[in-house]
Amino acid sequence: MGAFDAISIAGSGMTVYRTWLDAISDNLSNLSTVRPTNEPAFRAKYVVAQSVEDGAEGAGVKVAGIAQGSAAGRLVYEPANPLADKDGYVRYPDIDMSSQMTQLIMAQRGYQANAAVVDRARETYQAALQIGRNA
Amino acid sequence: MSISAVSGIAPAGYLDALTGTAGTAGASAVTAPTQGAGFGTTLAGSVDQLQALQATSDTLAVKAVTGNLDDIHDYTIAASQASVAIELTAALRNKAVEAFSEIMRMQA
Repeated sequence: MGAFDAISIAGSGMTVYRTWLDAISDNLSNLSTVRPTNEPAFRAKYVVAQSVEDGAEGAGVKVAGIAQGSAAGRLVYEPANPLADKDGYVRYPDIDMSSQMTQLIMAQRGYQANAAVVDRARETYQAALQIGRNA
Repeated sequence: MSISAVSGIAPAGYLDALTGTAGTAGASAVTAPTQGAGFGTTLAGSVDQLQALQATSDTLAVKAVTGNLDDIHDYTIAASQASVAIELTAALRNKAVEAFSEIMRMQA
């Protein structure tokens, strides 16, 4: 688009951070998803970001894919659980809640930073429109 | 929001009028205006781009109300791009009309 490069680049960043938020949300919501030991555990989702190289100044970022965490998860001894095997074990996903919460803050702040860039760029362009207005 | 009324000035009728005044001035020293991309063409191009931006914004607005919008920021960004672009086009048009009026007021 040319004139609105800063805005569309920041927009691509917002899309990536929104995807990251979605992934964290999914990971946190499945934190206690228990499965029997003969099935793979819920696999954590990790967003893979990739820079878009288009021209010298770049063209933002995109989601290259979603990587998945360990399918082995961690075995927890819960004999009372109806899903437990004959030894009393169930499979929990291998997701660290504190790490997810930290990433949640990073994703939120990243999204907000890009939103600030959009606003600042718009203000900047509007300053250009004021040139010669009071002549 | 329809902006088709703005495209009415695209044929650059006033530009032709401007180049016409050079001849009537009778000054032989005045060189013939070079036929580059005229202001009218430039303005028409920017009006076309403006229409494209408005169309994007409108499409996203429909997506927003029908619940098919993936990213909220896609719509707000498209809307603010369209708004800045329309301000720019309006500023250009106003300046052109102002310049034309200034020339029309010229007296010997």
